[in-house]
Amino acid sequence: MTAVLSEQSVEADLQLAYRVLRVRIGQLLVNERLKDRAFKVGVHMALGHEAVAVAVAGVMEPGDALCLTHRNLHYHLAHPHALRGAMDEFSLLPSGVGGGWLGSMNMANPAAGIVYTSSILGNDLAVGAGIALADRLRGQASMTTVVTGDGAMEEGAFYETLLFAKSLELSCLILVENNGWSLATHISERRCPVQLDRLAQAFAMPYVCLEGNDVHDYFTRMQAVRAQAVQQRTPVLVEARLATLGDWRAKTPEFPDGKFINYHHGAANTVTLQDWPVIRQDGSDPVFVLGQRWDEERLRALAVQVRGELEAEIQ
Amino acid sequence: MNYMQHVNAMLRNSVAAVPELVIFGQNVSAGSCIGGLTRGLTVTPGSRILNTQNSEGTLAGVGFGLMLRGVSSVLCLKQQDFLLLSLDHLVNTYNVVRRLKSDTASFTILLVVVDQGFDGPQSCLNNLDDFCSMAHVPGYVMHNGHDVEKIINTHLVAPGFRILCVSQRLAGTELLRLEGPVETTPDGAVFRYARGTEATVVACNFAFPQALAVWNHLQDHAVQASLFSVNAMDATEWHWIREDLQRTRKLVLLDDSKSGNRMSDRLLWAMREAGVVDRAVLHRRDFSPAWFRPNPDLLEVDPAEILRQLQS
Repeated sequence: MTAVLSEQSVEADLQLAYRVLRVRIGQLLVNERLKDRAFKVGVHMALGHEAVAVAVAGVMEPGDALCLTHRNLHYHLAHPHALRGAMDEFSLLPSGVGGGWLGSMNMANPAAGIVYTSSILGNDLAVGAGIALADRLRGQASMTTVVTGDGAMEEGAFYETLLFAKSLELSCLILVENNGWSLATHISERRCPVQLDRLAQAFAMPYVCLEGNDVHDYFTRMQAVRAQAVQQRTPVLVEARLATLGDWRAKTPEFPDGKFINYHHGAANTVTLQDWPVIRQDGSDPVFVLGQRWDEERLRALAVQVRGELEAEIQ
Repeated sequence: MNYMQHVNAMLRNSVAAVPELVIFGQNVSAGSCIGGLTRGLTVTPGSRILNTQNSEGTLAGVGFGLMLRGVSSVLCLKQQDFLLLSLDHLVNTYNVVRRLKSDTASFTILLVVVDQGFDGPQSCLNNLDDFCSMAHVPGYVMHNGHDVEKIINTHLVAPGFRILCVSQRLAGTELLRLEGPVETTPDGAVFRYARGTEATVVACNFAFPQALAVWNHLQDHAVQASLFSVNAMDATEWHWIREDLQRTRKLVLLDDSKSGNRMSDRLLWAMREAGVVDRAVLHRRDFSPAWFRPNPDLLEVDPAEILRQLQS
């Protein structure tokens, strides 16, 4: 298959679907290489996180900034022509997006607005606040998005950054990707529940919850979030409830039917590269959800073309 | 003019004309303004002075974020102890930021070292060595009129990241200035205050007042000594001191740092490797449980005893 598709050539109403498929299939191509141990560094894939990544990237304007965590591949792939640069970075090649200096967990791409990425939980929050402060001082109508997670929000940096961003009226989107897990420990196993809407209320900042993985809905709501953050000069706390796909079951004497193991990093061995890249037949899979809004035959044809385009990119 | 007034005057002079600068931290423009350190600062219209919340970990990260966006900043802290909350950024964030395109902006952490021990065991950290060692962060101490001027003018607002330290013990004391020419390496890492032929006196960390007292005592007893200070925690250019020791062969080394990883250890090792030390008189502080109760926390030096050791 040769590259016959570019983002500009996709029908307007399919653009968001195209991007979700690009992020999904790009990760599946990375996954195949992870299975082959082709890279020098470990990779934290984000299968199941595609809808929020496409929405965030889609609303970014020139001058906006994005700060990421160790699980960052989906945001990189939400930008065009990013797969080759990411794969080369995983191989620590000079042609990598970070010149082979950053690896996976610190992979940044300033040209695409991805200005900083941290492998340390909660670390990017403060850096993102500094970036937003710089833009505020220069009077720029930009927004800084800082991605964090349900594990990182347990760090004190999370509270400190909410306070800092609100106190200085920073146009900042603090995005909690809540997949319920920190390494192999579920929230219910490690801490009490935290109601982020109430935490946002305590800081008098808006709160938005994204659920359902409908990329069109996410994109529309993120447009509103950006407008609110910039126009009202306020941080907005966004919680994206999602699942990181690629889980598997480990059979042990204690768990003869298999114990659920959440995917954390490396190859997702239970996931295979297919023409129609659905992993789970329910609302936890953003690709499955595409079928609720668009005709599945069109999507399947689009997926085949996206795969061809990406395979050509990395040849 | 006392020491802190001089630091403050240099600070006011250095920041006044910087076109885009953020000076931030707790009480930078309130109350005592960090014991007078940041009192009366004025900045250009494109700059800001921000009294911030008490979140040292986040504040250090903010400085790096500003740096990534090309905005220079100075984070001021009342105690070095507070910087412990920022270690993640001093190491992990700095490791990435120095790789990314951020070489035009400046980020400086300017802090007070509580080098007297009466504030209790949790407020007596006097250890720039280890902060700098962990991620090879440039760091400088300032203890007299000469080095304050050189180091603030050279490093306060300059591309890159560093930590600058002033002494709480010296805050209200008369500013130390020596007669005659004072030489410095271009980066302010090493200062030479006097040239002698019979001994080489070197101060590390904040031990300059003690070193000066020793040097004066040696002069009073007709011992012509050289006097140096090593102000940088990452100094490696020892040629002045090495050349001096080739002549004197006698080293008096004073260091009041509480680190187990002292600059003076590295200096001593380098000079011994170079084979230029026949006699070394060391006055430093080794670990003591006494550190953990309120105490003067002073590197006590008896110049007469040092002279005796040199001549024995």
